[in-house]
Amino acid sequence: MAPSVLQSPVQLPPAAALSLSQQAPAILRNSPSTASSSPFGTLLSGSEKPEQWLQYENLILSCLRTGDDQAAHVCLGRLVARFGDDNERVQALRGLVKEAEAENNGALEDVLKEYDQILSENDTNIPVAKRRIALLRSMGRLSDATSALVQLLDFSPTDAEAWSELSDIYLSQGLYPQAVYAMEEVLVMAPNAWNVCSPTTALDLSPMLMQPSQIHARLGELQYMAATAPGVANGSYQKCMAEAVKRFSRSIELCDDYLRGYYGLKLVTKKLLEENAKPTKQTNESDFALPDTNTIERLNELATAKLSEIIRHSAANDRGWRGYSEAEVAAARELLADDASAAKR
Amino acid sequence: MTLLSRSITVIGGLLLAHACYSAREHSALQSLRTATTATLTSSPAAAASLPVDIKLETVISTFIILLGLVLGTRPLRPIEWRVWAGKIEREGEEGFTDNAGAVDKDFMGNPFNVLESRPNFVDIRKQRKEFADWVQKGDAQKKH
Repeated sequence: MAPSVLQSPVQLPPAAALSLSQQAPAILRNSPSTASSSPFGTLLSGSEKPEQWLQYENLILSCLRTGDDQAAHVCLGRLVARFGDDNERVQALRGLVKEAEAENNGALEDVLKEYDQILSENDTNIPVAKRRIALLRSMGRLSDATSALVQLLDFSPTDAEAWSELSDIYLSQGLYPQAVYAMEEVLVMAPNAWNVCSPTTALDLSPMLMQPSQIHARLGELQYMAATAPGVANGSYQKCMAEAVKRFSRSIELCDDYLRGYYGLKLVTKKLLEENAKPTKQTNESDFALPDTNTIERLNELATAKLSEIIRHSAANDRGWRGYSEAEVAAARELLADDASAAKR
Repeated sequence: MTLLSRSITVIGGLLLAHACYSAREHSALQSLRTATTATLTSSPAAAASLPVDIKLETVISTFIILLGLVLGTRPLRPIEWRVWAGKIEREGEEGFTDNAGAVDKDFMGNPFNVLESRPNFVDIRKQRKEFADWVQKGDAQKKH
């Protein structure tokens, strides 16, 4: 099934992005090229739909990704014609197009200067501020990006997307506690988001869970070892693990049959059971005490059962089980196979 | 609406229309008869009540229409958060189609995906490069 043009195209795989941007000419042809805001115009051409503008925005993103700059410019032109040159979102989109077309670092610097110029006139222009941060990050100036983002969050502290980005930046630098802190802020804003629950702890465990597209890479597990093994005190390690169990359980509680949640739970409980020889040291913070071995074993069994059920159903391509991405199912299969071979030995 | 539910609704509608027509005819006949008997004998008018078969037809046809409409509604959406979320994860778009098979307009997948995709912070240059690499890889595979 072709992805809808109304959904954000950022996370789509390349093939889907290509099919989206190939729809662009048809969509551009079918919708009127000018939208007039005069009452007579709306009488003649019918009322405009908000989806149309969303469609244009998403088309710009996927066309830029596939290199179809011409279509992107047409979309941008229509947005400018409708909303005017100084609309904040339009300004950000124009910057986006320029970024995509920039040939070298000099051109990027120019775009950056332009952003600074816009922000100096109106420093509450959030879309442009976000673009500026993204550009800084893209150019590799991580510390600048971080400080700009913190500044943005200072006056707009309820922006969950920005907190999430901050967490991602910290994660890319290996600053796990800061990343966890930022993720927890996201959780405060969106307490029912089942996909946020698991990354919160996935941060200090397996960063691969942050990116479903990379889930199949075994790199994540290595990072997880590196993150937890050296120089981490026993107490805080246990705290992280207990927190991880709790978070993954919460995400399963919020969402039946959640593959990522069960995957993470399986990963953590497996790890905990493997090193169970170590006596559990009772820390003062009873909040973070690990559950006893029995509970962990039962959690592990539950996760195994659920994962194998999901794998079985999606291998058979049953009706009602086709929503999982193939890469995630493959990763789960690999994890279970690992487990089985370990049990044989 | 599937064919089955639509045809049941149409049959019910026809029956109801028939019942209405019968009732109208019956009352017309009744009033004519009372009029003629009144002029002849001037006796009190017979109680103007409908025959049982017309009443039955009305009730039954109403229920048939109801059945057709109920069969034609789209499946109910889950109202529990975890069931709903699980449905999104498990079934994807397929779980949110109407009877004709088109995806609902307001279906947007996991509404919290924005927190992970972050469209306002998209690194367009990286995406472009990755896409170009993907195309090149596809070309290389074709050549082999």
